[in-house]
Amino acid sequence: MRKAVSHLGLIFFSAVVLLPILWVLRTSLVPEHLSYSSEILPELTFDNYLALFTTKHFGNNYVNSILVAVGSVVVAMPLACTTGYAFARFRTSGRAGRFAVLATQMLPPVALALPTFMFYRTVGLTNSLTGLTLVYAALNLPFLTWILMGFFESVPSDLEGAAMTDGATAWGAFWRIVLPVAAPGIAAAAVLGFILSWNEFLFALILGGPRTATVPVALASLQTSNGVEIAKVSAGVSLAILPLMIASRFIQRYLVQGLSFGSVK
Amino acid sequence: MASIQLQTVSKAFGSNVYGVRDVDLTIEDGEFICFLGPSGCGKSTTLRMIAGLEDVTSGSILIGDKDMTRVAPRDRNVAVVFQSYALYPHMTVRQNMEFGLKMRGLEPARRDERIDTVSEILGLTPYLNRKPAALSGGQRQRVALGRAMVREPDVFLMDEPLSNLDAKLRAEMRLELIKLHRRLGRTTIFVTHDQVEAMTMGDRICIMRDGHLVQVGKPLEVYANPVDTFVAQFLASPAMNLLDAELLDDTDGGKVVVSAFGRFPLSPTQAKAYEAARGRKLLVGLRPEDIHEEAGPDRVAFHAEIVAVEALGTENIVVFTVAGREYTARLGRHYIPAVGTAVPLHADPRQLHLFDAETTRAYPRPSFEPHSGKEV
Repeated sequence: MRKAVSHLGLIFFSAVVLLPILWVLRTSLVPEHLSYSSEILPELTFDNYLALFTTKHFGNNYVNSILVAVGSVVVAMPLACTTGYAFARFRTSGRAGRFAVLATQMLPPVALALPTFMFYRTVGLTNSLTGLTLVYAALNLPFLTWILMGFFESVPSDLEGAAMTDGATAWGAFWRIVLPVAAPGIAAAAVLGFILSWNEFLFALILGGPRTATVPVALASLQTSNGVEIAKVSAGVSLAILPLMIASRFIQRYLVQGLSFGSVK
Repeated sequence: MASIQLQTVSKAFGSNVYGVRDVDLTIEDGEFICFLGPSGCGKSTTLRMIAGLEDVTSGSILIGDKDMTRVAPRDRNVAVVFQSYALYPHMTVRQNMEFGLKMRGLEPARRDERIDTVSEILGLTPYLNRKPAALSGGQRQRVALGRAMVREPDVFLMDEPLSNLDAKLRAEMRLELIKLHRRLGRTTIFVTHDQVEAMTMGDRICIMRDGHLVQVGKPLEVYANPVDTFVAQFLASPAMNLLDAELLDDTDGGKVVVSAFGRFPLSPTQAKAYEAARGRKLLVGLRPEDIHEEAGPDRVAFHAEIVAVEALGTENIVVFTVAGREYTARLGRHYIPAVGTAVPLHADPRQLHLFDAETTRAYPRPSFEPHSGKEV
């Protein structure tokens, strides 16, 4: 009986999470004029997907998003790893320094967006994927550093001691021992960084242009003066969550292990 | 092979907090020395400074007559066995052992040769392709030891390597380590807070307290002649009993120590040795094993109220009170007094230790043969 109640509860919460996603998927598979119909699947069509790629250049937006999100992770992770490790292992600027890293996350993004735009316009980085990649890397860096700091603190410092007496340099101990041991945490942080960049809208809108529009910007552009093209938006959203679902499928284990890794310390 | 010299070595954390202070010690080539002390006494910090894993605030560390104070850990040719074993979890046993050899640029053939030899000695051959997570505590401990051994270092530094093992395995490994030391003959520093390990393993023991080196000596010498009440109480379990005492002239012209246990007449040798204690406030120390249930020649009888009895099979640890204070005796296995009863117990005056109550320093005892307790 108790089991049945807990299962009912789980089914309810799963429904709360899954139903909107399933409804988005359903809307993406019906013609635009039937989007708001109360029938579950009045007519099945892939026209919305086709239209996204043929008339809305969604393919370009998709590639842009992948390049920018992956690029920002590639740029940010080495910096976040070394900074997080330094904060975790050395008395670098004490507790104040650690909180200063986190405090940067408390600024509303829009407060940074306009100065960044002015700076980018001066150096010619507006409407460029490189510019967007760098700004995402910079925006994610404090958050990733903070997360990785927790993971590195969970790696016993004796391992580095053993490596260094075994003949490794401090850098060698970090590279050969600490990084492989912290790999689940690093993978979790990388995925979180990817998700943050993938979903980012404000900077992509302000710093980007038609050539560099990412998926969130492209989805927003479907909201026109003639109304919202809800079926195409749904198709776009379905495609947008696809990489996240694939990534979470493969790294779910690491993500859970990673997030709980640092917290128990 | 190398000797180690610590010359006025100190380690400060912050501006005024010292983990280790002014430690002077010479460890002979091939010696097995135990650093013993309670948690936070500085023994592990001293070991880590010798390994190069902690900076030395002041003083010098010489290994084999070479000043290693500022030398990187990898250039000291020391191997550390950590309490946590610190095995590389992403590597197999073989890779763990190979890591240090690779770092030092040894050819693959020689690496394999050394790993095979050490694995054979430690019984690790069947586990070489396993990762540490798939090993038991004892096996991990052996891998940690093996990883240190394959390196053939000048010095082994062991930081409480047995403390994570169960009692049986710990006793076995203790013996294994003693045998290994005899076989390899390398200078070894073994950090422990376990008196039994220190007493049984070390050629000498070094007792530390609050960052200071309190006493260094052969185990039985330190046991027989603790320099102060801290060493006297720390070096044995149950700890030495300490009673307030006075040194007085006896009616027969000799000397007598008066305490709650009664009057302990001193032998002429003892009286001479403790001459300086006259007129001072004293503590008399009696080890639990020097209190007996049987009367004997020269033994002083007193009445004890039994508070608790821990029957260990081989012996009984008896807690009793005299004049309202608790003491401990280690009595024979067949003598189990009932809790709450008053029984006569007997103390041997020849085994007493005298300490100054203010300074807690011991008055040097006359020489004893440690096993017989006879004056020589």
